[in-house]
Parts: sequence; structure tokens; C-alpha cells
Amino acid sequence: MSKLTRRKSMEYIKKEYVRTRTMPASWYLSSYKFKYNITHMEPMREKLKQKKLVGLQCSSCNRVFFPPRIVCGKCMVKPDRWVDLRETGRVATFTIAYIKDPETGEVQERPIVCAQLDGSDTSYPTQLNPDIEFKDTYVGMPIKVHWAENSEGGLMDIQYYDVTEDKAQDLELRKD
Amino acid sequence: MGRQVCIASAGFSEHASKRSDVSMPELVSEAIKDCLKNAPSIEINDIDMFVNGNMPAFEGANIPELWMTDWMGARNKPLMRVTTGGTTGGSVAIAGYYSVASGLPGVDTVLAIAFEQQSQGDTATGLASVAYGEISVLNSLGIPYDQLTLLFSAGAAIGVASYQATNYMRKSKTTEEDLARVVVQNRHNAAKTWWAHLKMPNLTIEEVLDTPYISYPLRYGMVCPASDGACAMLFTTEEKAKDMCDIPVYVNGVGSIATETGILGYCGSGSGQLDPSEQLGAQKTSDVAFQQAGISFPRKEIDYAEVYSPFPNQELMWVEKLGLFEENTASEMYETGVTALNGELPINCSGGVNSTNAIGASAMERPAVAALQIMGKASNQVPETVHTSLGHGWGGYINLITMMVMADEPARKFK
Amino acid sequence: MEKVAIVGYNQVKLYSDANYGRYEMIFEAVRGALDNAGLKKKDITTVVSATNDYYDGRTISNSLTVEPGGGYLADESKVEMDGAHAVLYGLMRVLSGNHKLAVVWGGSMASSYPAHTVHLYETDPTWERPITYVSDITSAGFQMRAYMEKYGISAEEIAKTAVKNRKNAVNNPLALAEAQNPNITLKDVLESDIYSDPVTELMVAQPCDGVAALLLAPEKQAKKITDNPVWITGVGLSQETYYLGDRDLSTSKSMELAGKMAFQAAGINDPNTQIDVAELYEAFAHEELIFIESLGIAEKGKGADLNAEIGGDFPVNPSGGALGGNPLCATGLIRIIEAVKQIRGEAKGYQVKNVNKAIASGQIGMCSQNNILYVLEGDN
Repeated sequence: MSKLTRRKSMEYIKKEYVRTRTMPASWYLSSYKFKYNITHMEPMREKLKQKKLVGLQCSSCNRVFFPPRIVCGKCMVKPDRWVDLRETGRVATFTIAYIKDPETGEVQERPIVCAQLDGSDTSYPTQLNPDIEFKDTYVGMPIKVHWAENSEGGLMDIQYYDVTEDKAQDLELRKD
Repeated sequence: MGRQVCIASAGFSEHASKRSDVSMPELVSEAIKDCLKNAPSIEINDIDMFVNGNMPAFEGANIPELWMTDWMGARNKPLMRVTTGGTTGGSVAIAGYYSVASGLPGVDTVLAIAFEQQSQGDTATGLASVAYGEISVLNSLGIPYDQLTLLFSAGAAIGVASYQATNYMRKSKTTEEDLARVVVQNRHNAAKTWWAHLKMPNLTIEEVLDTPYISYPLRYGMVCPASDGACAMLFTTEEKAKDMCDIPVYVNGVGSIATETGILGYCGSGSGQLDPSEQLGAQKTSDVAFQQAGISFPRKEIDYAEVYSPFPNQELMWVEKLGLFEENTASEMYETGVTALNGELPINCSGGVNSTNAIGASAMERPAVAALQIMGKASNQVPETVHTSLGHGWGGYINLITMMVMADEPARKFK
Repeated sequence: MEKVAIVGYNQVKLYSDANYGRYEMIFEAVRGALDNAGLKKKDITTVVSATNDYYDGRTISNSLTVEPGGGYLADESKVEMDGAHAVLYGLMRVLSGNHKLAVVWGGSMASSYPAHTVHLYETDPTWERPITYVSDITSAGFQMRAYMEKYGISAEEIAKTAVKNRKNAVNNPLALAEAQNPNITLKDVLESDIYSDPVTELMVAQPCDGVAALLLAPEKQAKKITDNPVWITGVGLSQETYYLGDRDLSTSKSMELAGKMAFQAAGINDPNTQIDVAELYEAFAHEELIFIESLGIAEKGKGADLNAEIGGDFPVNPSGGALGGNPLCATGLIRIIEAVKQIRGEAKGYQVKNVNKAIASGQIGMCSQNNILYVLEGDN
């Protein structure tokens, strides 16, 4: 971030330092080949093509992971049971990112939510429906999966999440 | 097994956004000279072992302690390097403690050094590359690049803090004005500390709230700076510490419990931390450290605390999670002056991480200032005598914590 | 020093391009070590890892490996040097009395980045890096030439060490397949590609993929966990100055001081007769000769005359050493594991007879600037 935008309005006591000889340089070492295994994700991708959701369950602590995980940290074993999940879920946490377009200079507001599907014990970051008013988002808001038209077997088949009606009794107390 | 460990001295270098007058090794030797100045009875040749740490991605130098051997005075001496990301300073301090507590033959006095010179490289790239490998996993699962950059821009240090802020502010009903009040208190305290970076003695709450948003609910005026600086601490045995200083500070409890990663998760698998402001790791670490130190009621027995909070919502969250105040009452404590310099439980009287953030060094500066407050030699000294204090660090991918509890009397007996 | 023992270990097979990701490799190593000792996840109180941000391609390389490494809700930290230095930190944590079982793991994957170029980032950015005359390979060339000129030793005598280690690696099932050369001759070593005269390709330890793990416990717990604990009786480390011109390259002062510190703690005055086998981390073939001279096992200049084969006077690197596979950040840990195997009698195919005391070393830095040495002893 630029220091000008941050401290335009605030004065601070600054000390000047003598500038010694500098050596500007950069080194390019070639790119890095990340290696990782995603064979454990294959069953999930097959089911996504059929518009179904599955999570991976650890047999010793019974936690369900969506997206699936290689090793369960609490038990130090590999989870191996696949369970079905529902298409509804809740917002676990959210934020609003302010992105500055480098060409036009205007600032856009985009919301990002971490969604937890019903039946799973983990949440992952994703997007909401771009047409809705996101300023009313609150933690615990119920959401539902909106499928994309063409399913390719990837996480983008869940195009975004729609907001469903909240039937809780104490709704007014929970909103911001 | 084991023996008592005392802190005999601590030293700092001056922090600024660009220390253009020194190179990395010279910055480290400035902090070491300040540390040895506070313990005038020993010289650099009396040190038996060195422990060193920083975050190497920011300066483009891998394992730089090999290069700065002579500037540290470590020629032909044992040396160990410990780095854990944002909590590097706290891990180096804990490694210094373990080096003395282990009782290895010939290792009695250990100098721990943590430093960072962020102006030498590009901070944003260094922070963002924490998750490069995981982002590429998501890419191969079909998520396109423009959505990944969106997730990225809310990732890194600011993003995870804003997730914590959302959940915390909803639970405790704090407002943005409470956050600005914390910032103002920290910057006023920094103005009285000689080595701090952002010294703003005349800051007001309105000025802080007048700046634009970076990531809801945090504004530009509330975030920490990126500084260059170094910090050094001297650990030694009980007998030798009594010769080196008037009030040796006993290290009574240490802890650094890790939990699973937050938000993105490892290998793109999401996170089990559904509520990022819950911080199971911090609660367990404070249990372990307080039990080692024999403290059962932290609110009454701790006289001073330095918590690691680059963003103001984290300061309110940590003082509750570490057991110092009750749930959801932290903002009230700041309003009524309980945490000010002459309040019941002063917090962050050196300005905290909100005013000075040299990432490798900041988690060590917290226990260093807490130790100096017990010795009575701190720059912004609390007027009442401090008997027990704590220093805390946080980092990683919301999952690493370090904590050190110290006092002017020992808590455990060793044979 | 109170007694601390190594009670379990595991190492994955070394590959030059493994077809699994790093999380699975770490899980395999740590889970295998726990099974080797018969322990469970909830017995772990502390985990110390040894990885390097630049070799892994990401900052804070330990934050995402908390779960596969067994560190969930355990006291966790990271040492950014060789695996042998991480064992030192684990040893300190157990000796302090705060922990009863420490897990130490380390490793990296060299197939993901150009293995020797990344060492360029470890040089002084002001004077040495822009000129690129000094790197880990050229400095090895300087050291080998200095050693040869001072004592009048020829390149053939140094190549003999490379031949010995590569032939020893054939019997080690976990060594790198490209380093297992049963029919290698002196001529092959001397005529392979020149890296930096006089260092040739087959004298260099090849970086590869690998992870290893081991477990430490104090005396009372170690006797209950296993019948065969291996005690650490002495440890020493030291770091020399950085600039090559300030050092005497024909000897290793840091190994000499590390040896003095370790032997004094273990009560050893004549290592040649009192130690039965040595596993040293030699990144280049000539370093093995320089190390055994600096430790006092052979006289200065006479390192090549020592019979270091498995059945000889003083066996060095019966498992092939680092020339049999060099996974950066794990090699020192693997040397300690091989010494433990020799003492316990579990090294099938390359076992030295009647081993009771062994030494193992690790190093980091150009021309082994920082060396660490362990003295290990078994129960009789």
C-alpha cells in the first residue's frame, strides 16, 4: 500500500538517516515446480460432475472434511470414508475486499465468505451471488449451492452461493 | 532435569521504515551493542552460544547468519538458527531459554538475536507466498486466476485479521470507535519509547477514522507499519545473572502450541477453525505457560502484559483469550483506563506491534520489553513495581503462538 | 549431562524425482517413526522440524506442515539448518525437563527447483553475489585444491573415497538409485563432467527428495519404550567465519572445535581406538578426508591412508554417506539414523561388527562453515 494514502492526514515524528551506498539487483533462478498429490480428490470431482456433494470422514474422530484432506491432524491417520453432504450451509466468516483497478483507479468492493456445508466440519473461502446486496451479510447466514451449467469436475461447478431465507426466532438479535 | 534460567539484559536498535544507513549485519551489531551496554560486566567473548532468527523471504538472503558471523561476534562459537514466520522472535527467545535450561556442558550464557530489514525487499510478495503452493492446488481443481487473485487479496496478514475482526466484533458488539481508541493509546505510548517507529503524540480518534478502508472493518489508519530493526536478549544461569544485573528476571513458563491452519487450509482443503477469533491454540498455550509458572488467577497475578497485535481488533481479542480479562469486556477496559500506563493492568506501553513491526524481531520485542519493565529499565516505565509479566507472539497461518511468562522470583525448584 | 536416548526412527527411500507430494512424504516418515517405537499421536509433546523456506518455495514452511508432522496441539518449532541441528534443539527440549517425547523431522524436495543455483542466495549480496565467482561448487574447488597442494595428495586418492562410498550405497536399500554404482572405477570418477576443477560430477553429493524422522526420550521413559535405546553422550557444534580468505581451507576448524566439545562431554580422549564407526555428512568427497584429520582420527595429510572400508581399521560411511543421496535438510538426520542402525545391529547388508560407540555429523554453509557432531553409545 502507498504510504502517502496512509499518512496524509497524520503527522509523525520522523528521523532522517544518512544514505549509504546501495546495490540494486535482482536474480532469476527459474520457476518452482510445486508437487502435490490430488488423487484423494478424485471421488469428489466425479460426484461434482453429477452435481452431488461428498465429504471425506476420518474413522477415528468422525470429523468430515470438505474439500477432502490427506491427513487428519488430530489422529495422525488418513481419512477413508466418503459421506454425502447436503446442498445447504452457513456463513462461517466473511470480509469485504477493496480492490483498486490499476488502470482506472476506481475502488471496487467484492465480498468473500467462508462457507461451511451442512454435515461437514470445515469451511473454505468462496463467493456469493454477485447480484445480491452483500452489506447485509452476517455470520451464520444460511446459504445454498448454485450449480454452474456445465459441470467439468472442478470446484468451479459450485458457481456461487445463493442466500436463502432464515427462519430462526432470534434473527434480530444476531444481525449486526 | 533442567535448571533456572534468568534474563540479564535486553537491547534494541532504532526502528524506521528505511534504515538506509546500515546493512543487515550492522543493524544486528547495533542491537547487540545496546544489549551489552545494559550488562556492563560481560564482554562479547564471554558469550557461550548464539541463537539467531529472521524471516528470510523479505531480504532475498537465505540463512544470513552465515554471512554475519563476525558482526555478531560468533566466530568459532556454537550457533543455531530458529525461524517460524511471524512468531520468529518469540521462537528465538524460547530457543535461548531452552539452550540454558538444558545444562549442556560449557553453555551457560546465550545471546538470542532477532532482526528484519524489510526495506531491502518486497514485503507484499514475501507475505503472499505463504500460500503459493496451496493456490496452485486450487487452480488445478478448476478455480480460474481472477477469482484466485480475489481470494489472495483478502489473504495474507491483513485478510486473516479482517476475518477475525468480523467474528469478534459481532460477538462482543465493539464499534470502530473502540478500535480507533486502541490505536491512539498505542501511538501515544510509542512516542515515549526511544526505539519505536510510528511516534504520534498528538493523534486523535477522528483522524484515525477519517482514512479509507483496506478490508472491512479495518482502515488504513489502523494498520501497523513495515519497519527495519533488530532486538537482542541475554539468557544465563541464576548464579551468573546476579553478577550481571541488579534484578535478574526468572523465566518461569514458556509455551508454543500449534493448531491447524485457518481459512485456506493445507493442500486446498479448507480449515477446521470455523471461527477464526476462537484461537484454541492461544488458550492452550496460556494454560501450559501459566501452569509452569504457577499462576492460577492471571487477572490478579500478572502486573504487565505485552501482546502481539498488528491490528487493534486483535489486541482486544488476545487480552480475553489469554485469560487476562473476561469475555467481551476488553473494549470497556480500554475506555475506563484500566490498561493505561498507570492503570491496574497496563498493556503494550511500548506502543506494541501496531506502532513498530519488523516482522522477524517483533515477537521477541514483546518479552524483551516485559523483562525490562520488571528490571525497571524500560523506556516508558510503568510507575508501580512490576513483579510478574508476560510477552506473547502470534503468526503463521493463524496457527502459531508463542508465550513467555517471567517474574522476579523463581516458580519451580530444581535439584 | 543427563541421559537422553533415541528410541525410534524412519526414513523414506530417496528418489531424484519422487511421484508424491511433500505432505504424504512427511506423514510417511513421522508415522513410520511412531510405529517403529510402538507409540501413538497423543504421546507426542513437542515437534521440531528442519526445513528451509527457499528450498520449499514458500515462506513459513512449517505453518502448513503442522498436521502431517504430528504437531497438532503440540509444542512446535522449526530450525532452519540441517536436520542434525534440529536434533540438538529436540535434545535441549528433553533435557530441560518440560517434555517427555520429542519428534524431530526434516527434509526437502530437490526436484522442484534447480538445486545448486539456490545456494547463490546464501552468498554476501554486496561483494560476492554480483560477481558469481563464489558459490558452493567453486568454493569446493578452492578447498580441494588447497588440500591437495598443502599435503601433496593427488586427485586419485580423493577419488578413492568417492568410489568407496558409491559402492557402499549399493547395499543400502534406501539410498538414491542413481548413486548406487556397483562397477564404478577410479577412471569413471576422474573423467566424469568437471563441475569446478578439480571437483568432478561423481565427487559431488547429488541433491534429491527425501524426509526422515526420529524420536527422543529421557532415560526413564526410554527404558520403558524400547529394549534397545541408543544414548546421546556428547554433542558439539561450532561455526567458522564466513569469508573464504579468512579461513585455512586445507583443514576444518569448525569440525575440530565441534569434536573437542563433543569428545570432552562424552569422555573420549583417543577417537581412533575408542570409536567403532563414523557416519559423516560429506557434501564433496574431499570433505570426508579433511574431517577425519580434523577430528584427530588420522594425522594431518594422512587421511587417505586410513582403511575406511567396512571391514577395515576405521569404517567411515558404511551406508554410502551423503554421496549415496543428499536430501537437503535431512542428510545430517539420516547420518544419525544410520549410526543408530549400526549400534542396534539393524543395518542389513552393510553392518560393521561389534559396534558400541559411533559418531555422526551434520553441516551447513559453504565449505562446511557450521559443523555439528554427536557421540552415540549403546547399552552393552
